[in-house]
Amino acid sequence: MTVLVSERLTIAVEGDVPVVRRRARELAQAAHFDAFASAAITTAASELSRNALVHGGGGYAVVEHVSDGLREGLRLVFVDEGPGILDIDRALRGGYSTGRSLGLGLSGSRRLVDEFHVETSLGKGTRVEVVKWARFRR
Amino acid sequence: MDPSLTEVLQFDEHQLRTRLAFFRIGEEELDRLAAMRPLMEEATAQIVSLFYEHLLSQPETRDFLDDPVLVDRLQAKQTAYFLQLFEGRVDLAYVENRFRVGAAHERLGVPPRWYIGAFDRYLGLVRERLIGRGVAGAELVADLAAVERIMHFDAALAIDAYVAGHLATHARNQAALRELASPVIRVHDRVLLLPLVGTIDSFRAQQVMESALLGVSEEQARVLILDIAGVAVVDTQVADHLLKTTAALRLLGAKTILTGISPQVARTIVELGVDLKTLHTRNKLSDGLELALSLVGREITDKERGS
Amino acid sequence: MTPTIPILRVRGHLLVSVQGELGDDVVEQFQNDVLSAIERDRGRDGGLLVDISGLEVVDTYVARVLADTAAMARLMGRHTVVCGMRPEVAATLVQMGYMLDGVETALDVDDGLDRLGLPR
Ligand SMILES: Nc1ncnc2c1ncn2[C@@H]1O[C@H](COP(=O)(O)OP(=O)(O)OP(=O)(O)O)[C@@H](O)[C@H]1O
Ligand SMILES: [Mg+2]
Repeated sequence: MTVLVSERLTIAVEGDVPVVRRRARELAQAAHFDAFASAAITTAASELSRNALVHGGGGYAVVEHVSDGLREGLRLVFVDEGPGILDIDRALRGGYSTGRSLGLGLSGSRRLVDEFHVETSLGKGTRVEVVKWARFRR
Repeated sequence: MDPSLTEVLQFDEHQLRTRLAFFRIGEEELDRLAAMRPLMEEATAQIVSLFYEHLLSQPETRDFLDDPVLVDRLQAKQTAYFLQLFEGRVDLAYVENRFRVGAAHERLGVPPRWYIGAFDRYLGLVRERLIGRGVAGAELVADLAAVERIMHFDAALAIDAYVAGHLATHARNQAALRELASPVIRVHDRVLLLPLVGTIDSFRAQQVMESALLGVSEEQARVLILDIAGVAVVDTQVADHLLKTTAALRLLGAKTILTGISPQVARTIVELGVDLKTLHTRNKLSDGLELALSLVGREITDKERGS
Repeated sequence: MTPTIPILRVRGHLLVSVQGELGDDVVEQFQNDVLSAIERDRGRDGGLLVDISGLEVVDTYVARVLADTAAMARLMGRHTVVCGMRPEVAATLVQMGYMLDGVETALDVDDGLDRLGLPR
């Protein structure tokens, strides 16, 4: 996988979430995502960066425009050093929230992307990596 | 004009340098190739014709070459192609040319295995020339290595173009299939029909949802009839997809009418625990159409009785 | 310097057009603005139409604020309709499992005003 653009963005305050979202959107455009794919990855970027901020106490995101030579795509990584996800299985199944929310951010993001990996360890933090590829080139 | 293949495949100066390094082609190899050029110019005609003799002697490749006019044209191209190997220069224009050769073979439907075999034949013919030249020892070995490397470099580029061409064809087929698979038909002002036929997997379900949403948004439709009479199997997963499409259309402000519901499908939907209040369903498409029209304030009346 | 959201009166109804990005900071403002516009509008009984055709991305956070605001407006006696959601936004929300069940929807402002009808 070739990385064409890579940026690291801090997630420390509320105002950082829209910044990550906007960057993801711009890169999706550069990678020729259609409207549906672009909305999907941008929304996932929003959910995961808010999770890193709200549940993880902040951290950073790496947003990348990648290519495997044949397809272009986006790789997004979200890292925090927060408490970790208490019940990862339930959180991935959806409908589980430690806040007053519906708990659809994490499970929903997973359905919006092509590749999804979570590493979480209690007391140490959480790292979520997602990849989405552009469809129907040319 | 089509974008260049180097552009499409994102093959830039950096890629070129790393690729040359990987195949161990440097100044020395390029100089050696350039030095061979006079010898090769002399031999081109014969090498190319022996090369075609080989291709025409094999049943698999002969099938692609049954048109003598085509063979003549290809031979002319081969001559230029062959001599370019001994230019002593490999730049992006060179790469583009090799990509085009690969793409042309892909379009002709020549599989890479024959392509690689043909390369080997070329290599053999060049080797004979070099050996026949009378230079031996380390010099000969180094010359042979230079030729082998550039030809393998070429083969790799051809394969890149093959794979990309294949994927592009695949993408086009997918796009065509996407239109075939979920045709949105306008049956009345602000009323659309989407008849589904065949098997629905999650990929197809996603296409159906997107086509339905785009259709509704483009036509400003208020109602979409989703006819599932032709769907082979409606299990809970398919039913779930169909209901998601319904939910998405509702978010846009349009109503969905599901028609063509068999007893088994009815059972599946009830088992899923769907809130039936929000779901418009009809057994027959014609009943669905009537309902759709009434939802946009129209009705079908009997002509004899007048309206 | 939070941008305020324009709230217009059209045919006796309140029309809120959400433009550009409903950033997390603006989203709270949106709810406050809408609720205080309804409060100022006391004595009338037109509906509330929220036009979100300008929103390119709606995540669960924004969706929740929209749904909550619609529910609050309804509690204050206003017939509330959200209109103009883009196809890709609808697809994304549904894929995530967010169906916005209690929210009434319309295609566009015209369609939304039709839904609201004449104020009683
Ligand atoms: N980065 C994180 N660090 C710690 N816990 C997390 C993190 N991300 C998610 N979680 C936990 O997983 C749960 C589910 O996350 P999810 O995003 O699905 O729901 P949510 O954030 O609570 O609500 P929303 O639907 O608004 O996103 C959270 O409530 C939280 O307990
Ligand atoms: Mg969340």
